[in-house]
Amino acid sequence: MAMLEEPSCPGFVFDNVLRNQHLLAKCGGGSQADAAASSTSALPRAKKTGTTIVGCVFNGGVVLGADTRATEGNIVADKDCSKIHYISDRIYCCGAGTAADTEMVTRQISAQICLHRLSTGRLPRVITAKQLLKDYLFRYQGYIGAALVIGGVDYQGPHLYSVAPHGSVDCAPYITMGSGSLAAMAVFESRFKPDLDQGQAVQLVRDAILAGIFNDLGSGSNVDVCIIRQDGVEYLRPYLRANEKGQRAAVYRGGKPAVLRTDRRPVLADIISTRIIRDSGAAQAAGETPMET
Amino acid sequence: MLADWTQQEVLTGTTIMAVEYNGGVVIGADSRTSSGTYVTNRTQDKLTPLTEYIYCCRSGSAADTQAIADHVRYYLDFSRISQGREPTVRYAAHVMQSILYNNRDNLSAAVIVAGWDEVNGGQVYCIPLGGLLVRQPMAAGGSGSTYIWGHLDAQFKPGMTDTECQEFVAKSVSLAIKRDGSSGGVCRLAVINRSGVQRRIIMHEDLPKSYDG
Amino acid sequence: MSFIPFELKQELVAKDTMEHARGGFSPYSMNGGTLLGIAGNDYCLVASDTRLCEADYYMIYSRRHPHIWQMTPSVLVGGVGFQGDCLTFMKMMQTKVKLYQYEFGRSPDTSAIAQMISIALYNRRFFPYYVYNMVAGLDAEGRGALYTYDPVGNVERALYRAEGNASAILQPFLDNQIGRKNQGDVAGPGDLALPKEDAVKLAHDIFISAAERDICCGDGVVIQVVTAAGVENYNYQLRKD
Repeated sequence: MAMLEEPSCPGFVFDNVLRNQHLLAKCGGGSQADAAASSTSALPRAKKTGTTIVGCVFNGGVVLGADTRATEGNIVADKDCSKIHYISDRIYCCGAGTAADTEMVTRQISAQICLHRLSTGRLPRVITAKQLLKDYLFRYQGYIGAALVIGGVDYQGPHLYSVAPHGSVDCAPYITMGSGSLAAMAVFESRFKPDLDQGQAVQLVRDAILAGIFNDLGSGSNVDVCIIRQDGVEYLRPYLRANEKGQRAAVYRGGKPAVLRTDRRPVLADIISTRIIRDSGAAQAAGETPMET
Repeated sequence: MLADWTQQEVLTGTTIMAVEYNGGVVIGADSRTSSGTYVTNRTQDKLTPLTEYIYCCRSGSAADTQAIADHVRYYLDFSRISQGREPTVRYAAHVMQSILYNNRDNLSAAVIVAGWDEVNGGQVYCIPLGGLLVRQPMAAGGSGSTYIWGHLDAQFKPGMTDTECQEFVAKSVSLAIKRDGSSGGVCRLAVINRSGVQRRIIMHEDLPKSYDG
Repeated sequence: MSFIPFELKQELVAKDTMEHARGGFSPYSMNGGTLLGIAGNDYCLVASDTRLCEADYYMIYSRRHPHIWQMTPSVLVGGVGFQGDCLTFMKMMQTKVKLYQYEFGRSPDTSAIAQMISIALYNRRFFPYYVYNMVAGLDAEGRGALYTYDPVGNVERALYRAEGNASAILQPFLDNQIGRKNQGDVAGPGDLALPKEDAVKLAHDIFISAAERDICCGDGVVIQVVTAAGVENYNYQLRKD
């Protein structure tokens, strides 16, 4: 009988989803909450960036902002993660949601945009990146948990879009996303004015992110800011250290576990081949004679 | 585990409507997009162009309706180039309907296709959830429409003038905005006739007055 | 491209709908809070952070809410879990303490309060108060007495213990530093009790670290130490994010 070669197809593999659900049900993790409560029966949870990300248009470009906390459940997984991703030289994208999804989705689209730029010989447009991201997320019907804020400058000027995980797009002069988006939106709604200058826009973005950092448990640590103008990009990371770690009063000894028993055994191995690379300088420095076999 | 709205799909809990008048159509919509109880966008444009003379009013899942509108727009652009003339509203509606019907299990989208063409003038086609297609002189959709059917039935007259029709749509959408929690923001209007599209925005404070008790 | 099979999507949707229909209502929620207790030779320390929150909704309700209640002049009770139950339970315990005072003309001692709490919790075995308790006081010999509980009334007297949200972060550190676990090169257990000043420093430092990694822990820490002379209070700020 001929061997059937498994066709390799691009994209995700969903083979184990039904099995995982079956296991989850079997372990007594009826609902998500139950599963989370008994850690033994829960399937591994993806790292989420409970996040505040924002974007704001000003008269010469776009400012993007993000906090730097990544969480796994109630635990801070990363205190200084980067949530503003590179798409092209004048387009950046903030990501909220499942950390892996935002990272991979932006990398993938960044690559596509780069190839598109090389094949057309034109600077990428923000709307192109937006449409690629939107199409990609729509195809996966929300199962790719990426909520994005795309900002950039092209020949038409500054642009700002948000893309929700299901693939819907909004276009607005100021946008917030992630678990801290309500806190951040409150700042924008009360203080945004059309035709801001760069300083005002950065200040507004900073305050919006700070609102998220302090009032949303999923957001924290520092403020990252990315200012995109026609003539260049300023990626400020961190723009502001909003939280300093407290100073410990004492020094704690680590100690090490007791060695209960030691047992030394020689490692038996056959030497198949040896090769000595001649490095006369190092060998002479070490007082050795260079050798060759 | 998170708050509902972070997990929920973005929906256009909506009021949309379209009315034929002598010479074209008037379409209108509110501007609220929400996800659960959170208004994700208060200035959404739910009147989406398909061609220069044909628009669709979107309601349902924002992601679904945007994707479909993109698809239909591409299809109609292609049709214009290959046929060498503007696609008819009827054709646009049929393209839309076939997508909605063939994917009815996977989509939550209800749209109104409205526009003007040389053959039949102003036309309004209503395509509700399952993918039914029906031409109507006046159509309304979205969660907000349920509050205003009585008003529409009482006030609609066939063969209105441009201005009368705009007033009618503005008034109806405003009534829905005031009664429906998932509709809100501004009222967007568009008049489509032989000369193309004219768009209007009625800011929230300028909406036609009605009983506020 | 590998798409989500339609059957799978249907199944996922059906599951969601069923769960909704079953009624997702839960009478409990977890309002954060972390407790730390250390018993010494002549003192007993109990510490808590001062943040009150709803972790599931990523929301902060208060930044200055210590999770410690005073039962008698020399007995403190820490309680974290569902704030509604904490308040009710503590009010009930305080009432019982008052009744005891009226009846016997003196405050109940630490072991009496410890026993009372255990019984009160077990009385609700099948609809428990969702509270993790910790009693701190001095015993008849004047040594620090620390009692810890689970929500249904199991009680243990301990030398040191962490409870609540960040307990899984704190407890291993306490085991290592106070219990001298996995410190093979240190001489045998002997007397593990810390001097009071060291215990206060450790409690402060440990909350600094917990605030770094637990999203529910932060804003401030309250350290209260019961000694023969009375209760000492220490307040420190923690990070606010």
